[in-house]
Amino acid sequence: MNRKVLLVGLLLVVPLLGLLLANLGRDPRRVDSPMIGKPAPPFSLKPVAGGETVSLDALRGKTVVLNFWATWCAPCFEEHGELQRAARSLGPEVRFFGVVYEDEEERVRTFLKQQGSAYPSLLDDGGKIAIAYGVYGVPETYFISPQGVITSKYAQPLDEATIRRAVREAQAGTAGGAS
Amino acid sequence: MRSMARLLLGALLLVPAGVAGQTPEALPLLSTETSDVARVVGPPRSQPLSGMALDAKTYQVGALLRCPVCQGLSVSDSPAGMAQNMKGQVRDLLAAGFDQEQILAYFERSYGEFVRLQPPLRGVNWLVWFGPLLGLLAGAAIVIGVLRKRASTVALEPEPGSELPGPDTLPDDPELRPYLLRVRELAYGWPGGASPEKEKA
Repeated sequence: MNRKVLLVGLLLVVPLLGLLLANLGRDPRRVDSPMIGKPAPPFSLKPVAGGETVSLDALRGKTVVLNFWATWCAPCFEEHGELQRAARSLGPEVRFFGVVYEDEEERVRTFLKQQGSAYPSLLDDGGKIAIAYGVYGVPETYFISPQGVITSKYAQPLDEATIRRAVREAQAGTAGGAS
Repeated sequence: MRSMARLLLGALLLVPAGVAGQTPEALPLLSTETSDVARVVGPPRSQPLSGMALDAKTYQVGALLRCPVCQGLSVSDSPAGMAQNMKGQVRDLLAAGFDQEQILAYFERSYGEFVRLQPPLRGVNWLVWFGPLLGLLAGAAIVIGVLRKRASTVALEPEPGSELPGPDTLPDDPELRPYLLRVRELAYGWPGGASPEKEKA
């Protein structure tokens, strides 16, 4: 009987311990995006500075980099310069857009005036586009292939080298995954 | 807000049933966000809600969605901005006629199954739902088995600490046994010295 009890106990405990060990040190908020490899949700958003509405459908055929950000987010400030450099150097076939996440338009306007911007930032009223893309927080950046498929998602401040690599993957249409 | 929902519904009614899987270009009458929802989960399957029914259902559906930026809180219970946005979207979709399962499926498309506070009964989720029950039953079976074994062992042995022999106890010395049985026969009238209780057993 003792051997049986031990066996049943081990059968119950060992898998649970394995699961615990496998997930030890993992950020519980970090979940792989189910959006990788799927069509990017369409959007039609107004830029902060005014002007014509930007629609994803109109960007078909171009690689799109979609960066969700806010002025209150310190890591967003950190990656701002890297994104600007990448946007300036990658040419017109790669279109960069910021999507303002839970922020006030006036603050965003002031921030962009002070820091400068090589691409438009779009207003996401009610956070609907952030929800459609499965955004957890900021900064988050999505890379969309010319065919309109999400090839990778980054939930951390990016450097120029990472942006270039992710853009190459998007242009090739290969899913790089989430990070 | 209500007139907006009516406009959306009117537009949605013009959408053919096979809307799921179509390109946004094929859904020109829908707003961009709603066409995305319809593309993912199909056209609305329910009646558009309004007033108190809308409030109640919004809370009910929000309670089934996990707030992605909170620790174990539902969208309905969280004050976080993202949760409020999600709750707003649930409300809009209910007002447009999408049903509970469609709304949960839409959020699942973006956030994965993680966003559901009650995982659906499929695949490994069966283990989540019934694993604890199976564990409980297995534990109960083990405890019952151990208790039964202990009870049968105790019945054969004298009470711990008791120095008095039981009515059927016989001495270890085989020479003394016949004398004791004779005494019991004479004293209690038990035939052969064996207690009637033992005979019955």
